[in-house]
Amino acid sequence: MATNPAYSAIGKRLPKQDSESLVTGEAKYLDDLKLPGMLYGRIFRSPHPHALIKRINTAAAESLPGVKAVITADDTEKVKFCHLPVTPNKLALNDEKVRFVGDEVAAVAAVDWETADKALGLIEVEYELLPAVFDPLEAMQPGAPQIYEDCDNNIPARIARNFGDVDKGFAEADYIFEDTYKTPLIPACSIEPHCCIASFDHLGNLTFWVSTQNPNNYQKALSQVLKIPQNRIRVIRPKVGGAFGNKSVILPMDPIAAFLAKKAGQPVKLVNSREEEFTTTRGRYAMVIQLKTGVSRDGKLLAREAKVITNNGAYNNKATGISLLTSNRIGNLYRIPNSRTEAIIVYTNTQYGGAMRGWGGPQAHFAVESQMDTIAEKLGMDPLELRLKNANQTGDTTPWGWLIASCGLSECLEQAAEKIGWQEKRNLSGLRGVGIASVLHTGSGSAGTHGAGNFSEVLLKVYSDGAVGLIVGESDIGQGSDTVLSQIASEVLGVPLNKITVASEDTNFTPPSMGTWGSKVTFISGNAVKMAAEDARLQLAAAAKRILEVGDDARFAFVDSRIHLEGSGQSIGIEEASNYCVQKFGKPVTAKAVYEPPNANPPDPKTGFGNYCPTYAFGAQAAEVEVDPETGRVKVLRIVAAHDVGKAINPLLVEGQIQGGVAQGMGYALFEGAREKDGRVVNDNFTTNKILNATEMPWMEEILVETLDPHGPFNAKGIGEPPLIATAPAIANAVYNATGVRIKELPITPDKILRELIIKREAEGCSSEKE
Amino acid sequence: MAKLNLQLNGRARELSVSPHQTLVDVIREGFGLTGTKKGCGTGDCGACTVLLDGKPVNSCLVLAVEADGHEVTTIEGLQSDGELRPIQKAFIEHGAAQCGFCTPGMIISAEALLRKTPNPTEEQARRAISGNLCRCTGYQKIVEAITSVKAGRGESSTENHHGD
Repeated sequence: MATNPAYSAIGKRLPKQDSESLVTGEAKYLDDLKLPGMLYGRIFRSPHPHALIKRINTAAAESLPGVKAVITADDTEKVKFCHLPVTPNKLALNDEKVRFVGDEVAAVAAVDWETADKALGLIEVEYELLPAVFDPLEAMQPGAPQIYEDCDNNIPARIARNFGDVDKGFAEADYIFEDTYKTPLIPACSIEPHCCIASFDHLGNLTFWVSTQNPNNYQKALSQVLKIPQNRIRVIRPKVGGAFGNKSVILPMDPIAAFLAKKAGQPVKLVNSREEEFTTTRGRYAMVIQLKTGVSRDGKLLAREAKVITNNGAYNNKATGISLLTSNRIGNLYRIPNSRTEAIIVYTNTQYGGAMRGWGGPQAHFAVESQMDTIAEKLGMDPLELRLKNANQTGDTTPWGWLIASCGLSECLEQAAEKIGWQEKRNLSGLRGVGIASVLHTGSGSAGTHGAGNFSEVLLKVYSDGAVGLIVGESDIGQGSDTVLSQIASEVLGVPLNKITVASEDTNFTPPSMGTWGSKVTFISGNAVKMAAEDARLQLAAAAKRILEVGDDARFAFVDSRIHLEGSGQSIGIEEASNYCVQKFGKPVTAKAVYEPPNANPPDPKTGFGNYCPTYAFGAQAAEVEVDPETGRVKVLRIVAAHDVGKAINPLLVEGQIQGGVAQGMGYALFEGAREKDGRVVNDNFTTNKILNATEMPWMEEILVETLDPHGPFNAKGIGEPPLIATAPAIANAVYNATGVRIKELPITPDKILRELIIKREAEGCSSEKE
Repeated sequence: MAKLNLQLNGRARELSVSPHQTLVDVIREGFGLTGTKKGCGTGDCGACTVLLDGKPVNSCLVLAVEADGHEVTTIEGLQSDGELRPIQKAFIEHGAAQCGFCTPGMIISAEALLRKTPNPTEEQARRAISGNLCRCTGYQKIVEAITSVKAGRGESSTENHHGD
């Protein structure tokens, strides 16, 4: 590991720059905004999972006093849309058919919420019910109800990948393991619900306020669905109250707000109810993963095969990209010479999924890391030893073509195990135990699998008083990216943090960057900020040379807003150099930089081979649990999370990301998930779709492993998603260590454990009777 | 419509409200104090927590008319003379706010605890905020912030009653 240079801003535990506005309630979120003449909109949704729309009668709703607009598909442009432009199949409002409970059919705008609610109750829709199918395994069988006419067996996509010689690998294996794992749909549960405001001016220009992590994406998508040129749509993002991937692409509510505003001639606000959040937004995809692994007697992984069946739900969104990521986690975590995966996307008459922290990683890791423990047990090996034996290492090129430029997996495993007390606690008596799991994630977004890039553009200006402004396209959604980007600029320019601001909330001004997703902002935008700041530094240095009358070989240190000539006591202020540039060079200090990773490219679309990501994030988490034998309830006593972050630019914020990720991972392990009955989500509130509260969280300990990534800005890599990925399998493995029962379907609820415990006790009872 | 008279953040305020309006809606829309957030409307998430006569309540579960004649403190009422309360400072120092949407309700619950129990244990802190859901932080830094606020650290008994 390289040595750490002395930094002024990098590596400092600094509170987020917006902290004071958050603790005073001053920060303005979307629902805190109100425009003059603003109306309130509500959406009429299908109560049926699969039906033809025969007739819609909106007359009574329209005549209700206070109602300003009622719209159906006929009031829209009827453009089908999707996150992927190649597979659009959702209308903002459906005209012929509905495909899940909650599908959008009509909408109203009224002078207040109450009137809008009343109007919804007056809309009459006549349906012809169709047979429906909710389970993907049933939906892909011949004879199942067909959700789209042009899609045989409800399978819109199948993606196969094959690296090495899998058959040979299995033939050489001493043992072969086959297991099936299941994971549920997970709602994002941002405490702030999805919301937006649409407002047109008299020229037809749209201003659209929305709680999003990706304003540029909204501008583009709204342009397509509304048939309005992008330059006539201005997207403004207020403070975002949690997103987790879920606020990265438009929901039907967004164009609906615009169509309502157009028809009413007044601004319209839409805010999801909590019930709508649970039943109609894009959660983490439910998957069934059939995993087969061949190993040698001494614990070398020889071949792995996986079938990933993804419940796409009723419409396309991100299932193909996400399932592919599930596949490549399975093929690239650990040194496996041969792997074959098939991802199958299946339509069902259920709520459709989307991006939710982890992008296919949580599902993949639950399967792989559960099976690793099964393998270790069969081989009589310590699960930690099995992982270390197969761990990816710095400098590896995987069979899929991934170049692992920095890798702290082994250190993370060793340190997490040591801190949890692995050796002493593996054989505790009573129903207590520990488990461990690894994580591999793209530590900087991905190079794109469908033509999307992975770049960031940054504009930087140095004001006449020496303050610095950054203009970026990536939103701070609470993780503190504005602060981290400011720290990077601060380090390069020697300007203190309180003199640096970041603007990213208005598409009229921000560069067309990719937005905040995929744990990429620190790495991708951070590199762009560093490049722009270095450019500005050169411009300031040029002025300093002229002011101080020194030659071109003069060297400067930028410290405390001053430019110091090295080897002399002379210095000038940043503001002096900045003004000099305006007055003498006729050019204010501004810089523009675009960073697109030079070392990563989209993998070959046919084979999937290629370096997918400029850096890969690794980690390991260990959990200690206690299981109540009477109730089956799991109590998580402690979690140790060791993560390879390259370099922690702000350890305080890195810890916050890790702790928050672990909490979501624990929810994934033990409680969360949409439960459906006949296609209807029945747990549509926080009482029945529980997320963890403070009393249920164990003490968490973080270990930051700094591998110093060669490509990262100041050697950093991303940490947004990795922390939740290893938590569920670590807990599942700890539950097995404590009880001897293996739960292969998330969440690990008490009833599942009790059932398995009873079966186990009966089997043990039978065998002892025989003895 | 009914007349609502209350002490809001230490000031006597009056407003006409519908009998069925909830306190959170009246605070946000009637009085324009948008620091109090609405996350679920069903009393599950705690984002709308305010102090009613010094006790933390989910203001989405309280009818506005029930607050008639009572004292209500929102997040906007915690500062005195522009000075942040110790719990607000602790939230900043400990990195306890991420997206910040749950933060006002969380701070109100924490403040209520600290007024009663100036030097809370970790367990007391966790219990006090168990009705406030946070999806970002995992609660650890929030708990650290609460337990870091000790009696005598910028707190006095008179300040304790500010805004009540």
